[in-house]
Amino acid sequence: MNSLPVNSVANSTVDSHNTADAVTMSGICKKFGQVVACDEVDIKLQHGKIHGILGENGAGKSTLMKILIGLHAPDAGEIRVNGTTQRFRDPGDARKLGISMVHQHFSLVPALKVWENVVLGDHQKVYLSSFWKVPQRALENALAGFRSNEKRTRQQISEISARYGLNVDPDTRVRDLPVGVRQRVEIIKCLRYDPKIMILDEPTSVLSPAESERIFSVLRQVVEEENRCLALVSHKLNEILAATDDITIMRQGKVVEHLATSEATAPMLARAMVGREVSLTLSLADIGGNTKKISGQEKIDSTGTKPALRIHNATVTDKNGHHLLDSLSLEVQKGEIVAVAGVEGNGQTALDHLLSSLLKLDSGYVEVDGEEVPTGVPGAFVKAGVGVISEDRHDTGCIMDMSLSENLYLSHPKDAVSGYAMMNRTAMSNKSTELINDYQITASGPDAPMWSLSGGNQQRVVLARELSHKPKVLLASQPTRGLDVGAVEYFLEQLRQAAKNGIAVLLVSHELEEILELAHRIVVIYNGKIVGEMSRQDIDMQRLGMLMGGISEAEISPVSDT
Amino acid sequence: MLGDFFSAVGDVLSNESTYSGGFRLAVVLAFVAAGEWIAERAGTLNISVEAMLLGGAFNSALGYHLTESVAIGILFGAIAGLGIAIVQANMSHRLSADQFVVGLTLNILILGVAGFLNSSIRPSTTRAHIFEVPWLVDIPLVGPALFGQRWPFYLAYLVVPACALILYRTRWGLEVRAVGENPQAADVSGVPVLTRRRQAIYVAGITSGLGGAYLLLGQVGRFESTIAGGQGFIAIAAVIFGGWTLRGAMLGCLLFGLVNSFRLTLPGLGYQVNSELLSSLPFLVTILAVAVIASRARQPAALTQPFVRGLN
Amino acid sequence: MNQLSSRLQARWTWERWSYIAGLYLASIFAALILSALLVWATDGSWQDVFSAFIDGSLRNPGRWGLTIGYATPLLLVALGTIVAVRGGLINIGQEGQLYIGAAFCTYVVLRLGGPGPIVLIVALLAGATAGAIWAGIAAWLKYWRRVPEVLTTLLLVTVAAQLVGYGLKTTTLLLDRSPEHGNRNQISEQLAPGVRLPRVEIFGNSFPLSAFVALVMAVGLAVWLSRTTGGFRLTILGQNERLAQRVGISAPKYGTMALLASGAFAGLAGAMMLTGGDFGNYRLAPGFSGFFGWEGLLVALVARNHPLVAIPMAFVFGALRTGGGFLSATGVEREIANVTQALLVLALLVPAAVLYLQERRRQIATVEART
Repeated sequence: MNSLPVNSVANSTVDSHNTADAVTMSGICKKFGQVVACDEVDIKLQHGKIHGILGENGAGKSTLMKILIGLHAPDAGEIRVNGTTQRFRDPGDARKLGISMVHQHFSLVPALKVWENVVLGDHQKVYLSSFWKVPQRALENALAGFRSNEKRTRQQISEISARYGLNVDPDTRVRDLPVGVRQRVEIIKCLRYDPKIMILDEPTSVLSPAESERIFSVLRQVVEEENRCLALVSHKLNEILAATDDITIMRQGKVVEHLATSEATAPMLARAMVGREVSLTLSLADIGGNTKKISGQEKIDSTGTKPALRIHNATVTDKNGHHLLDSLSLEVQKGEIVAVAGVEGNGQTALDHLLSSLLKLDSGYVEVDGEEVPTGVPGAFVKAGVGVISEDRHDTGCIMDMSLSENLYLSHPKDAVSGYAMMNRTAMSNKSTELINDYQITASGPDAPMWSLSGGNQQRVVLARELSHKPKVLLASQPTRGLDVGAVEYFLEQLRQAAKNGIAVLLVSHELEEILELAHRIVVIYNGKIVGEMSRQDIDMQRLGMLMGGISEAEISPVSDT
Repeated sequence: MLGDFFSAVGDVLSNESTYSGGFRLAVVLAFVAAGEWIAERAGTLNISVEAMLLGGAFNSALGYHLTESVAIGILFGAIAGLGIAIVQANMSHRLSADQFVVGLTLNILILGVAGFLNSSIRPSTTRAHIFEVPWLVDIPLVGPALFGQRWPFYLAYLVVPACALILYRTRWGLEVRAVGENPQAADVSGVPVLTRRRQAIYVAGITSGLGGAYLLLGQVGRFESTIAGGQGFIAIAAVIFGGWTLRGAMLGCLLFGLVNSFRLTLPGLGYQVNSELLSSLPFLVTILAVAVIASRARQPAALTQPFVRGLN
Repeated sequence: MNQLSSRLQARWTWERWSYIAGLYLASIFAALILSALLVWATDGSWQDVFSAFIDGSLRNPGRWGLTIGYATPLLLVALGTIVAVRGGLINIGQEGQLYIGAAFCTYVVLRLGGPGPIVLIVALLAGATAGAIWAGIAAWLKYWRRVPEVLTTLLLVTVAAQLVGYGLKTTTLLLDRSPEHGNRNQISEQLAPGVRLPRVEIFGNSFPLSAFVALVMAVGLAVWLSRTTGGFRLTILGQNERLAQRVGISAPKYGTMALLASGAFAGLAGAMMLTGGDFGNYRLAPGFSGFFGWEGLLVALVARNHPLVAIPMAFVFGALRTGGGFLSATGVEREIANVTQALLVLALLVPAAVLYLQERRRQIATVEART
């Protein structure tokens, strides 16, 4: 499998058969401090093909791509583009050679219009060429009519839209667009450079299955008809299997395998990616596949008891009139794990904010243990016993400039008070050391500043804090995002334990495998509304996928009958 | 009582000197506000414009003192503003020091330095010539105000539209707006965020320096360390008042300039008004105006937020 | 502001202490060399200048008492700054709050009859309240209309000066009605001896009791910030307003309280300046605030927002004032005295800035290494 001629003899002339290789990266090393992100990585990308780069979070795939587009400089190794050795100082250099990337997190500015976003960061074309040429170009513009450049950009956008079926109005402000359309804008932005080499970093993380399919068919067209080269970075096996021609698998900064997609099978890829056998009963590869019955865990008896968390007809409208939550109702029993499945951007954030007291409901109510909790009132949910592992720990999870032990006391500082109304630092320190051990947090000690911890350990601190206060309800919003495999397992186990201890757990996740592994019950959120529900006993993957894509129950039933 | 008030307002408003005075004062604000507007759109609430205004004023006096040329004096003013901007920009958007701390320190520092240099050099200065634009100056009421001023006044007619032009019609301006709204996204798109933010402050420095030069060579004619007198802050308020649009900011400048002029012309027309009330009038009106308008405005999403790649 | 720095050093090693001390010494030494060169260039004798400086601030009879008298309001203003900064708010209008505080204190003292100590205490409280109200306007506008407090506190400085100026011109408010001040139209009556702050006399140096009050407040604030849930909550708010909201810290409530406290410190500083006697001979007159509000901000800055560090820093800034004042009184050119003073202030600011930036860099490097 690993038969690629990686360290070919140094040769100043370009081999004729090498011209098919759009990019050859060999011996790429990149260290950040003590962390080795890329270790002797070799990879080849070819024109006319989609190359999948598969790996867990933190496997080094994003770093590798950032090196390729010039965002990071490699510590060692060589990059050859079309046979010529290149050294990139910044993304502009790479872009000149036709390398362009669609980023994992949106690179769009919501306040700007679509066409403005498309030209943003473009240093070669249209608009004006340089700040210092402003007077000259301003004069030209004045003569030719100010709008001429805009017109050219608009024209390009509509050309690209028409050619690939990516419909979008260039004059809409991006903040008014739904997520799926934003992803189109990202791709248009990338295609406008007419890239020879395109890189897509987790392009479908915010898309529904149907939208992903559309995007991939566009990409297939782009690659095959126009002989471009495409690298697809993903950790989703089915996506890689469905969309690529070749696959490179990375693990812990190293390439573990190169192979052609036709030779690959899901278990094989999963094993190579994780580095050990993984149980495939709930394999990632099955998602979107056939209907599968899953043996349930112990059933939660909910008859007669009050639900620990009850959200009833919650409706919130933002200032632009969009519904963030649209009469959303759900209940979680004591000891139950209810998972909210859905594509990113369908109200999950609003749910997080609601239970973090950051959002006030326009109508509807929330009850914890049968008591109504006022929404949008500082601290109301913490007081009612709702713990939150928020989806963005920088936002409402922890404070980077405080110490680890202070972070453990953020929500209940009174717990640190002993006598004379003073906070007892020694007691805080001792308790923190205890929690550091219990939750296996790697840190130099309770006084370590939060920012000095790795993301996974910061997340553990948040978990430790929320669980140590014995909540009645725990909202875990994307609890494993950005964590490595071991940490993910640890987190899922902790959530399962929490439920066993009688905590009502509401898990919000975009990762289906996570949901399938934990949930007693799954509800599907779409456009701020709960559109479907299924218990663990009758999970129907097909139905789940369709609900997430916005196809209503009514439309589904004839499909599943056939 | 109320009748008196209205007749006074009427008298002042029908007096040509109210307008020419108002526009003169408004133009100082306009120079500062135009640059500050760009800096704020890039994400910096740049309180050192006060220092830039003062430094510009002093340096233009120095420039005139050395060369006896108003034009060179104005150039000196712009350079001083730029110099202060370089300190502010690099401290806050290269070394990530807090922008308000840097700005405040600069304000205090420049006040001291300019005062000291002024008392030891004592630059001799004068005011620029009055240039009346033919015909246009004959427009009743506002003609002299808009077209009958000392010549550096007319620079504003270039500077303000130029600011609008570079922000809305250039790629640089687009990038500046992007870094003020969503620096992370701009960064990923390949926009050098900190560089753009620094450059936006440089623009603010230059225009504020010009404002200072105009204040000195176009209006006051002699340097005192009280010459800026909080006008930089009022210009910041004008930007907020205008809801971060240039048109709104200029409207704010005009309003604040007219109020200021109002208080200056009122006693001349024979009205006895409490002088302290009059002196604080511009500030009170500014606070009031901003308070009434501010919450309706949309401020740049990343205003005052420092950018560090990877921290967010 | 740079509250990061005060809490970031995980370990205070011997090397670190000596590094910081060295930084300050080098910086001050550089400032002294520069001023010496300046004096030398203007044909002065730098030995004379420096000994005059020391004489003025410490050595001469009564001078260190005066230095303490000057340091007191600086410390109080700095404490106010620190409270606001901890809550994530930037109050830079202390100059005005101090002046307003002094004015209200004067008014109460002059108008309220009764036993001296009670009048005095009521007057001091009135001064603090007035300062708090003045800062409270900014807080109110911030939370009601979202006007940045940086701007309002600044603009209100001028308004305060005009307001007090008006009071000083008006007989029914503050203007001295006695005929001996007929030639000055803006000055208040002198405070009666019974309502002045007691002065402490040690070895021929005297300073008002307010110095002890400020000292106690600095220690109290340090304890409050680091050891109480209130201080902890305020710090949380300053660090992350949304997290604060989640855990039950209301930004309008705590933020307003922080700004009120900040203004109260400045107002109290003004009231104590007036009743203490080192300024204006127990009389309020225009220019009374004399830049103490601005300089107090610098003290907080140099102390890197730590209340205990602010104590010696306030003393140093006070010494720079008394020394500088003495210097110009001994015949050295006033400009030279000013420049020497400015250079020394800079010498204190530079190491603080350098330390802050180094820590910031270290943090950024650590974080970048992970992404």
